[in-house]
Amino acid sequence: MNSVNHVLLASHGTEGAMAAERLALEMCSKGAKLHHLIVVPTFWEGMTGDDWLNNGSTRDTFRRYLEDELGREVDEHCERVSRHAEEKELEYTNEIVVGEPDECLINSCRKEEYDLVIMGSPRPKGKKGLRSRMKPESLMRTLDVPLLIVPYPSK
Amino acid sequence: MVYTKKSPALFIIGIIMLAIWYMADSGMLAPFIEHLAAGKKYKYGAELTSIPLYFGIIAVVIGAWQWFGTHTEGNWDYYSSTIAGGMFILLIAMLVRWFIAPEVAVISMAMGKVGDTGKYIHKLLGLNYVVLGILTGIVIVNVFKVPDWAQNGVRLSRLGLKTGVILLGTLYSAAELKNLGGLSIIMIGFFVLGSVGMVLWMGARRNIPNSMGGVLSAGMGVCGVSATVAAAPVVQAKSVEIAYTIGTILLWGVGCMFVFPIVGNVLGMSHVQFGAWAGTGILNSAQVAGAALAYQPDGIETLKVAEIFNITRVLVLPIIVLWLAMWYVKREEGSEQVNVGRVIFEKFPVFVLGFILMFALSTTGIFAPANHYKGKYFGNTPEQGFKEKNLLKDDDIALLQAEADKVQRADRKAALQRLLENRKIMSIDDDTAIRGLVNAKVLSKKANKILKHAHKAVRHTAKKIKAFRKWITWLFAFGLVGLGMQITVRAMKQAGGQPAVIGGVVGLTKAVLSLVVVLMLVSETI
Repeated sequence: MNSVNHVLLASHGTEGAMAAERLALEMCSKGAKLHHLIVVPTFWEGMTGDDWLNNGSTRDTFRRYLEDELGREVDEHCERVSRHAEEKELEYTNEIVVGEPDECLINSCRKEEYDLVIMGSPRPKGKKGLRSRMKPESLMRTLDVPLLIVPYPSK
Repeated sequence: MVYTKKSPALFIIGIIMLAIWYMADSGMLAPFIEHLAAGKKYKYGAELTSIPLYFGIIAVVIGAWQWFGTHTEGNWDYYSSTIAGGMFILLIAMLVRWFIAPEVAVISMAMGKVGDTGKYIHKLLGLNYVVLGILTGIVIVNVFKVPDWAQNGVRLSRLGLKTGVILLGTLYSAAELKNLGGLSIIMIGFFVLGSVGMVLWMGARRNIPNSMGGVLSAGMGVCGVSATVAAAPVVQAKSVEIAYTIGTILLWGVGCMFVFPIVGNVLGMSHVQFGAWAGTGILNSAQVAGAALAYQPDGIETLKVAEIFNITRVLVLPIIVLWLAMWYVKREEGSEQVNVGRVIFEKFPVFVLGFILMFALSTTGIFAPANHYKGKYFGNTPEQGFKEKNLLKDDDIALLQAEADKVQRADRKAALQRLLENRKIMSIDDDTAIRGLVNAKVLSKKANKILKHAHKAVRHTAKKIKAFRKWITWLFAFGLVGLGMQITVRAMKQAGGQPAVIGGVVGLTKAVLSLVVVLMLVSETI
């Protein structure tokens, strides 16, 4: 397999994304740069929904709690990828952004030059999980970097 | 950070409002209004020639200052940043109430009545200004997105609903509150505890984590998203569990808001029955208010009943959160101990105190005579609003005297006698007896007409109560349009996993069982 020196890995810890992580770690040559992009989808902003009965303090507690929860999940995820990157002697960096997954990936690609962008496949139908997906079509139309979509891991 | 946006938006909103006022006031809109009225009297004429003028001037002045002025950090800046969004919601509420909803009614009436229901489709589906306003809000946030300059103001819509509930306190008589309060405590107590228990029982059988069971039971049992928001940190729910639960509740709530009025119309439920059913069976408190106003857009009797149920639910919320916290601590090692006082203090709905205060003020007679019932009171003196021209005429007395022998019941006979002697109804008891006489249809139509007139002459609507009713309608319309702007399809799409299955079963059971209980046990009036 060809090795690459500067990879953008789009992963947020789902099974499909973890398959992308494994392949990215495998493809990077020693000393390569691995930039990890984690997108927190904007649907979380609508998660207080139409609550109006609570007071501001309860809503603030909820927001802080949700932010902490999401932060903890992201930290755990980054730590895992970072540990594996360290074992392979890669230069690991990460970027956590809130937005639409495909828009954030495109923006990230505009800021740096990468050899390759790696991401997982959309979850197969019937698989449980939150509904927030990359739109591969918009990526394919916009990106001027090779894009590798890793197949969803089979059982 | 400076929150006020240097944008022409508020100024433009003001110009649009003033243009509406000008076109309505000058008669330019007359042909369109005639079309909307569909042969009847257009209901919103007075509003159309006053409200957009007042708010239009405010929006133009503040909008010009926001657009051209300089803004610095501070409290005033934050409050100022909410005005554009607030006016945006108000403009949408105006357009929907005055033009869009009547247009939908005109189209619906042109399509004819639906099958053998005897009702037009807009009546059957409850497509009035409230539902259409919420729908418009949902469309705006999901299709166009709420503009940046309106974001802070859209959050203000919650204040509209809370203020609406507080003012609603002025409209209850002590008897109503006692009866409705008792009914709601029984219904809410049974169905809240029942659905919380059912979720926990189903959760245990389906091996869901305690945190998921905790957050879902609060949402399904008490008051939807509000309860989920209050309970999630206490039971340490995972992010995915929160997303599943809130998605499920939002989807279910929006669905119920449309389905409940249709069922209510088909079954011909009374306002009290529908209010009690919506207040118990609909998960989300905002959608309870929406469904109540959808069922009865031009009156607030249904809303009054539904809101008492909402208030009972929100009062139950701290107790349920506390109980869930203790339940969770028992089951999860290492979870934080519960501070009872803190939970009660933090979750207590302060606005309910405002409601109670307004009710207490109302019983002192500050807004209407203390003996008022549903805002109406008895008065047969000029000081109390009785007009001398409404005294019975000689012809009326002659006709009633000729038929007086037909009356058998002693109380009705005596009340009629006093009416004939004094030419007006003399007491509340007499008024009740006369109304009973009319309903019994013992006398001729002509005589009944005279009695009805005599009854109306001594029944007055308090001016302040009338004004409160208008304000309440607008505050709820404002609040619900704003809440619509906070319901995202992306959040609803997260409905799934075990919460969707358990939530679906419990939600449906609650809706059906509460309907059966209401139809069997709740009388048509309170």
